[in-house]
Amino acid sequence: MSDLETNSHHRAKSGVRPIDKSRLSIQAMGLGRDFVTYKKPEGLLNSIKGLWNRKYETKVALQPTHLELEQGQIIGLVGSNGAGKTTLLKLLSGLIHPTHGDARVLGHQPWKREAAFLRRISILLGQKNQLWWDLPPADSYDLLARIYELDRTQARKRVQELAEMLGCRDQLLTQLRRLSLGERMKMELIGALLHEPEVMFLDEPTIGLDIVAQNSIREFLATYVRDRRPTVILTSHYMDDISLLADRLLLISKGRIVYDGQVDDFMSRAETRQTLSLKILQPLSEDLQLTADHRIAAGSRSLSIEIPSQQIGPALQKLLAVSPIQDIKIEEVEFEDIIRDFLEGRHDHLSQ
Amino acid sequence: MTTYLNKLWGGARLAALEQLTYRFNLFSDVAIQPLIVAAVELTLWLAFFQSTGRSELAGFSQDHYLAYAIWAAFVARISANWMYEWNMIDSVETGAVNAVLVRPISFYSFWLGQFLGYKLLTSSFSLAVPLLVCWAMKLPVQIERLPLALLLVVFYLIFVHTIAVIMASMAFFFNRVHHVTVAKNITLWMLGGEFFPLDILPENLREFMIALPFSSAVFRPVGYLTGRLTTEQLGEGFVSIAIGQVILGSLAFVLWRAGRRRYSGTGA
Repeated sequence: MSDLETNSHHRAKSGVRPIDKSRLSIQAMGLGRDFVTYKKPEGLLNSIKGLWNRKYETKVALQPTHLELEQGQIIGLVGSNGAGKTTLLKLLSGLIHPTHGDARVLGHQPWKREAAFLRRISILLGQKNQLWWDLPPADSYDLLARIYELDRTQARKRVQELAEMLGCRDQLLTQLRRLSLGERMKMELIGALLHEPEVMFLDEPTIGLDIVAQNSIREFLATYVRDRRPTVILTSHYMDDISLLADRLLLISKGRIVYDGQVDDFMSRAETRQTLSLKILQPLSEDLQLTADHRIAAGSRSLSIEIPSQQIGPALQKLLAVSPIQDIKIEEVEFEDIIRDFLEGRHDHLSQ
Repeated sequence: MTTYLNKLWGGARLAALEQLTYRFNLFSDVAIQPLIVAAVELTLWLAFFQSTGRSELAGFSQDHYLAYAIWAAFVARISANWMYEWNMIDSVETGAVNAVLVRPISFYSFWLGQFLGYKLLTSSFSLAVPLLVCWAMKLPVQIERLPLALLLVVFYLIFVHTIAVIMASMAFFFNRVHHVTVAKNITLWMLGGEFFPLDILPENLREFMIALPFSSAVFRPVGYLTGRLTTEQLGEGFVSIAIGQVILGSLAFVLWRAGRRRYSGTGA
């Protein structure tokens, strides 16, 4: 089955409505990228030999990928480190050339870097500053307004509006280097939205931020995308980013899209798993079969297991029958773990 | 065209603002550096004339050489772009170039605007140094020739910026381009006439080196200003740069395109 067929299969099975071809904003047709690297041998002698006898290896960063996104859709692109999500983002934003396949974003081939295309997109890299380090953001925005050929009075007004929404008007005239990470990210966001892009690529916009800053940026983005309806591809390691902002989820693994469906569908099923940690007052006198998959050995006084939510009640009843509980904690499974479980086949039901 | 110039001006303005942020950096750039270089060059030429007992060399007096040394230090400071070239290479190596690649401006123009803005600001201040020294020491300078001489330097800046783009493009292929840049800069200092006037070289070598566009970095504008060259010889500098710009501009274009194709979007 081709990737396109696989994706369509997942889409159909996960309750996503069919794509309206007339409203396509992003299209990838067998888009892929390989990287060729020198395979350096170990040791001094082999390294010297490597000067004239070199071996190269090709690594597939993104396998041929088929993708169709409608205008105004917000896609959460998730996957472990090195899965290929940033490579896909870089290809669609025109930062890099593909090894094979083709793509159209707003009708343009991204890597041609046509001005008409670049004026309509924006990319925000959560781990990179795009504004000038030694200058106040207001000065950087002036240059951006000229680069995007904006009316400078209008651009200044827009900066004020966005800063008001983000609650950072007071920092516009402070050097970027003197701002906190959260404040800097807000300034980067203003820079990325100054020209009102129709397509936004957001790569880890909340990475490294404290909870308050994360929430602030998350809420701002939620309001912004709801009001302006740009097409957004968002990558994040935080479940809250994806669940609050995205309406479609693409899970990528080893350079291949392995799940394409609704975020709610993915989360509602995945969230049924919880981590149950507890301590009992008296050690067990004999082995106890807590669930079909979990058995507690005689003599144990504590346990930490990951089980479906609906099994927590019966499991506790069984345990209380043999010993009083001293301490108990029930936690939602981490987003990373849900993804890992899915990739390891533990959530097969999601794609069926 | 207006839009393009507006983008260039935006970059120039931003570079000027950046320079005006730190007072000591600016002072060091516009006064301390040219003064030290000028002092070293003056000492060398004074030592040469004192030790050889000569009063002139190749038809020009000691004062002519001192004037040349003072203005060479100033003009060489303008026409050097190693700092910007370093930043451009670094941006490709670290992936900072991504911020330019996703915006509707070319890498060439993005850096050219900032480079020219930086030079305009710092040179406006540091121009006082050679003017004051030459006035105080009563050295021979044809000050009415200054505008045309500086125009050639501005023209050369565009050419030397093209070389910087070539070096930055090489960073797509190699990861130690900075090492090449050091060797290249030393070569350019000699070819430009910063160390000594190129017309004191043996005849064949002299003609060859003066014909190259690099002589417009220092020798042609300073030689013109200090009376060693005619207006016609200065004009040849514009032609030489134009030819060089076509050749190196084409090379920069090809290298940049090839580099972009293999770029992996480092750091994003």
